[in-house]
Amino acid sequence: MIQFQNISKKYHPDVQALKGVNLNIKPGEFVSLVGQSGTGKTTLVKLLIADERPDTGKVIVGGWDITNIKNRHVPTLRRQIGVVFQDYKLLPQKTVAENVAFALQVAGKKGKDIDKILQQVLKIVGLEDKNKRFPLQLSGGEQQRVSIARALVHRPKILVADEPTGNLDSINTRDVMDLLQKINEFGTTILLVTHNREVVNALRRRVVTIDNGEIIGDHQHGKYIL
Amino acid sequence: MFILSTARILRFAFQSFLRNIWLSVVTITIIVLTVLSLTVLILINVVADQAVTSIKDRIDISLYFEAGSNSDQVKLVEDQIWKMQHVKNVDYVSADKALEMFAETHRDNELIQDALNEIGENPLGPVLIIKADSIDNYPLILQSIKDFKIDELAKEIDYDDHEIIINRIELVSQKIRQFSLILSIVFTIISLLVVFNTIRIGIYVHRDEIGIMKLVGASNWFIRGPFLVESILYAIFGCLIFWIVFYLLIGFINPMVAGFFAEIDFSIIDYLTSNFLFIFGFEILVIIVLNIISSLLAMNRHLKV
Repeated sequence: MIQFQNISKKYHPDVQALKGVNLNIKPGEFVSLVGQSGTGKTTLVKLLIADERPDTGKVIVGGWDITNIKNRHVPTLRRQIGVVFQDYKLLPQKTVAENVAFALQVAGKKGKDIDKILQQVLKIVGLEDKNKRFPLQLSGGEQQRVSIARALVHRPKILVADEPTGNLDSINTRDVMDLLQKINEFGTTILLVTHNREVVNALRRRVVTIDNGEIIGDHQHGKYIL
Repeated sequence: MFILSTARILRFAFQSFLRNIWLSVVTITIIVLTVLSLTVLILINVVADQAVTSIKDRIDISLYFEAGSNSDQVKLVEDQIWKMQHVKNVDYVSADKALEMFAETHRDNELIQDALNEIGENPLGPVLIIKADSIDNYPLILQSIKDFKIDELAKEIDYDDHEIIINRIELVSQKIRQFSLILSIVFTIISLLVVFNTIRIGIYVHRDEIGIMKLVGASNWFIRGPFLVESILYAIFGCLIFWIVFYLLIGFINPMVAGFFAEIDFSIIDYLTSNFLFIFGFEILVIIVLNIISSLLAMNRHLKV
């Protein structure tokens, strides 16, 4: 489903973010990518959504080589990968429903279809009664659930969650992780980027450890080892 | 798909316009002030031009004939002058009419009125008032009058006094034109820069949202669209609000200003009414184009997210 083949990336001549990274993620997997801050985890996410291009190597998503993807094809790629960020990245001037619907509107979906999908995803994340609220009227956990709902609207085969629990308390963290596991059970491949030890250890799923731009561990039922 | 996207872009633009109402109010206020300075500049230019034209219109060559001159002879001279180059108009003022006008002009001067009564008969002769097609051509007409020895038939030619005035008017009008051109350029540049930066700041405020829209897969034009429409809305509202307020204000102060322009026969309301579409169209076009350019430039920077 996702292949990083011998990826290297430098931001400055002195800053080597990734060094010859090889990673293969199969369909339906739940993979935790762990490591300290600044070790290259977010760079991998950026490569996956074509926010950055690698200096060397190949990135393949669902059989599509996106290594040198043209700018005009980037929106199409991003509509196929759901992404959840630590800071939620919601549009502050749009309501919950509008934020979620926006991801469908950019793809040109019809109003009726949007309403139908909207009801479904808001039900999944448990926010159907708060659809008219603005992001600032919600708690951090609720905002993250809106972000997950938005990531789900295209029924993506891949969901990337970059530190989704970074700003949440333990209760909200558990809710969000339960939600991600539920989504994974429906067959969506999940790439969870985190440095939250408890979250990773509680999952007992595949753990890829990255340090200083290199993969130093890859275990099927791993733990946070750093 | 295209119609659906366009409809959504329009809806997002109106939504953003209303939900960011304070940003909209500030931007529209700046546009109102810009249109005010553009309009005032246009009016200054028009009034200055009108004033100079009005003064120039009063310049003429007057040929005064002796009292009791033969009107047929004067008519012959008039015909001869009509044939000269650069003559726009020749007015024949009979001796009676000349007296009537003289008496009217000095109706408050008792001394002159008494003197006219004392004389009993008309001391004035007929007058020919000659207008040139351009202020520069009076010396040529004057030369022709001398060449045809018409000046020998007349008692007096009233032009020499005007020559100095004409030169001064020419000089002053040239200076006014230069000054208003410089003023227009400076004010226009300042106004345009202010609007340009206001729009850029507006987009800068939304830079995070632009990044988010890109991350959820919006195409660049789907992101640009609402911002462009919003900037056009600012221009339309700004110009409309300005003109409504300006017309109300002008209607209120026009009676006071009318006295000021009485000498040059100029009415701001009449001028604005007859040229409204041109001025309004010009201003709204300038502001719309400027807003679009500012938005595009500002957004290109953030769309590289």
